[in-house]
Amino acid sequence: MSALLEVRGLAKRFGGLVATDGLNLDVAAGEIHALIGPNGAGKTTAIGQIAGEIRPDAGTIHLAGQDITRLGVPARVRAGMTRSFQITQVLMNASALANVALVEQVRQGHSFRLWRPAARDERLLAPARAMLERVGLGARADVAAEDLSHGERRQLELAMALATNPRLLLLDEPMAGLGTTESAAMTVLLAALKQEVSILLVEHDMDAVFALADRITVLEGGRVIAHGTPAAIRADTAVRDAYLGAA
Amino acid sequence: MTLLLEQLLNGLQFGVMLFLMAAGLTLVFGIMGLINLAHGSLYMIGAYAAAWATLQTGSFLLGLLAGLSAAAVLGMALEAAILRRLYARDHLDQVLATFGVILFCNEAVAMIFGRQPLMAGPPPWLSGAVEIVPGVPYPVYRLAIIATGLLVAAGLYVLISRTRIGMLVRAGATHRELVGALGVRIGLLYTAVFGLGALLAGLAGALTGPLLAVQVGMGERILITTFVVIVIGGLGSIRGALAGAMLVGMVDTLTRGFLPATLRAVLPASEADALGAGLSSMAVFILMAIVLLWRPRGLFPAHA
Amino acid sequence: MRESSRQIFVLVASFALLAALPWIAGAVGRPDLVTLGSQACVMAIAAASLDLLMGRTGLPSFGHAAWLGLGAYTVGILAFHARDLGPPWDQWAVQAWAVWPLAVLVPAALAAVIGALCLRTSGISFIMITLAFAQMFFFLFVALKTYGGDDGLTLRRRSTIPGIAPRDDVAFFYVCLAALVLVLLLLRRVAASRFGTVLDGIRQNERRMMAIGLSPFPYKLAAFVLSAGIAGLAGALHVNLFRFASPDLLHWTMSGELMVMVVLGGLGSLWGAMFGAAAMVVLHAVLAQWTEHWQIVLGPILVAVVLLARRGLWGALGGK
Repeated sequence: MSALLEVRGLAKRFGGLVATDGLNLDVAAGEIHALIGPNGAGKTTAIGQIAGEIRPDAGTIHLAGQDITRLGVPARVRAGMTRSFQITQVLMNASALANVALVEQVRQGHSFRLWRPAARDERLLAPARAMLERVGLGARADVAAEDLSHGERRQLELAMALATNPRLLLLDEPMAGLGTTESAAMTVLLAALKQEVSILLVEHDMDAVFALADRITVLEGGRVIAHGTPAAIRADTAVRDAYLGAA
Repeated sequence: MTLLLEQLLNGLQFGVMLFLMAAGLTLVFGIMGLINLAHGSLYMIGAYAAAWATLQTGSFLLGLLAGLSAAAVLGMALEAAILRRLYARDHLDQVLATFGVILFCNEAVAMIFGRQPLMAGPPPWLSGAVEIVPGVPYPVYRLAIIATGLLVAAGLYVLISRTRIGMLVRAGATHRELVGALGVRIGLLYTAVFGLGALLAGLAGALTGPLLAVQVGMGERILITTFVVIVIGGLGSIRGALAGAMLVGMVDTLTRGFLPATLRAVLPASEADALGAGLSSMAVFILMAIVLLWRPRGLFPAHA
Repeated sequence: MRESSRQIFVLVASFALLAALPWIAGAVGRPDLVTLGSQACVMAIAAASLDLLMGRTGLPSFGHAAWLGLGAYTVGILAFHARDLGPPWDQWAVQAWAVWPLAVLVPAALAAVIGALCLRTSGISFIMITLAFAQMFFFLFVALKTYGGDDGLTLRRRSTIPGIAPRDDVAFFYVCLAALVLVLLLLRRVAASRFGTVLDGIRQNERRMMAIGLSPFPYKLAAFVLSAGIAGLAGALHVNLFRFASPDLLHWTMSGELMVMVVLGGLGSLWGAMFGAAAMVVLHAVLAQWTEHWQIVLGPILVAVVLLARRGLWGALGGK
């Protein structure tokens, strides 16, 4: 099996603090792979490095066989890997539709057009509407992002990441701040996505992780302490000691 | 050879002055996140107060004292009245408000002292020249400036790396919330840091006064060169400020000293002088461009 | 972007007032008001171009006066050399249709180089470095004794525009007003385009824009260049208005004043820059008449505007 995402020996330290310590990670095509660990285990830094926002001190990252270790964030997106953010990053004063239409515009790659109005361009709006339908925001398309509820903004965040048409999604705590019902809805949504996109999922909500993940990698202190199927991870005593036992 | 040595010392002297300016500006930015255009006005106020007091009393030391206190007191008053309202604002608001402060200060100084430059030369006991190496005389006053500046730099280094205040300053630069959480009265710390920066600017102004004409607009000229120093050295870093100041001081002085003469070799004298003067004024900006191409965050970025 | 009916009313009223300015000036016996009106239009063009950077793209350039000055000197220097040139160049060098586009292109080309350097930095460094580069041009023109150095360069006569007498101040006022209207309409069109949408996104959340696959640099640079070109046009009009170009036009205080105009008018509001520019031009004229120390009044006004008036004139007039 050749992995879609292949991370080898990734390392990063900030001064004296070791954030990532020789991380190895594979995400296979078509799987949901969860990255879990206690607070401070280095999950966010790892996602930052994989997405290209943080430059690693050592290690390599391959996406579908292509070495992307030295690429910047936008180039990685164009190579087929998009991240979402733990803290929602949307354009607050624009409508949900305009937010997704902007992603569609960037994906189509025609942003150096200075003359025709963008706001009524059906080539952008039609796919954007379809995407909002998919994440369950169809009825709220024209509402400004700042007027959406927290849960709806999380859906919008996901829609924007999806609209880049990635092969691999890096989801940084998509359930953050969601209530029980909203989390359940998000879980259903992510499960449905699995057909077309692979996902590397960082998440604290263990119910969601065990419901969704095909495989799980457990981080502690910046290094992998266990990886395997959900069942194997559940049974792993090291993981229990480090993490699950406390929960 | 003689000329080169003299110019190198002049470069060092200018660099030391720039460091006094840059240190204050970069400390205030590093700790409070404030870009203060009026830093040049504090320099000007230091120069005016010192020149005026020197002319009134005949004592250089009283003049120096007046320059230092005027800059520090006005600086802290400025912080308390206006600038502390700007810490939480974005940089654009800070730029515009302190731009307004500059216009006010310049005009106020022009109304009090007139548009004619004030001239107060160095005191008799610092006048004249000594031979630093046989056959090369150099003004005592400039040597005194260099010594003072290097002493202040050393003092700042000790203050920041060795004392409790310095620890707070360093912590403040990287972990603003943390300092608050330690129970330090942050408002007081800010005013003190700002006062220190103002004091350094006043010192630079008071010391430079006897070398140049003290006039309205002198603050902005050095402010912009100080910006170049900070961009080259790396924002918020004292070490960078020192390195940048020395580099800019040397490059500026040496090009001014040698470029026109070099151009005379290929051009008529009057044209060579004009072009040389123009190109020398541009030299530090070109230096800045080169450094930025090589290291966009400056030589010693504070937050790597 | 759609203007509200109140905003449309304010705009129509303002432009009607501007268009009627020559008659009003004649009626009250103050022909100098026409020049003041031209000056307001010219500064409004420069301020609107800066708003494209500051307000739309989120790039607070403190060196915009450089482009204004370069545009002015392009026209001035070409006219200066016109006599030395053989036909047909001697004629072309004073024709508006030939020279004004150059006054746009020269600053734009230089802005492409300077902008590429400045955009390697961000935040406070960007403010400092744009200021520093603009000051570099200032020193350059001070040193160019051939073109007047400190004293500036006089334009013997205005650029030739077919059908307009060179000394007709009223006609020139309408040229300035027409240029202002065209520039504002162009900028409005750009703001609503795909390009403008991207600039908006970069201002609001650059990290997000990168995370959806956009490299911000080329767009920021394009905005920088476009903005410099439009400021160059303002410079061409400015040198024609006063038949004079001086290094003061590139001085850092001019950059500061342009920033003030943008904020006073309402940051990012497009139409606001015009009101901010007009207010500053009028304020200057009034204060300068009242006292030679007018800056001592202007300074505190600036501080008050920054600390208190957040929405700017456009927000106050047009409502929001």
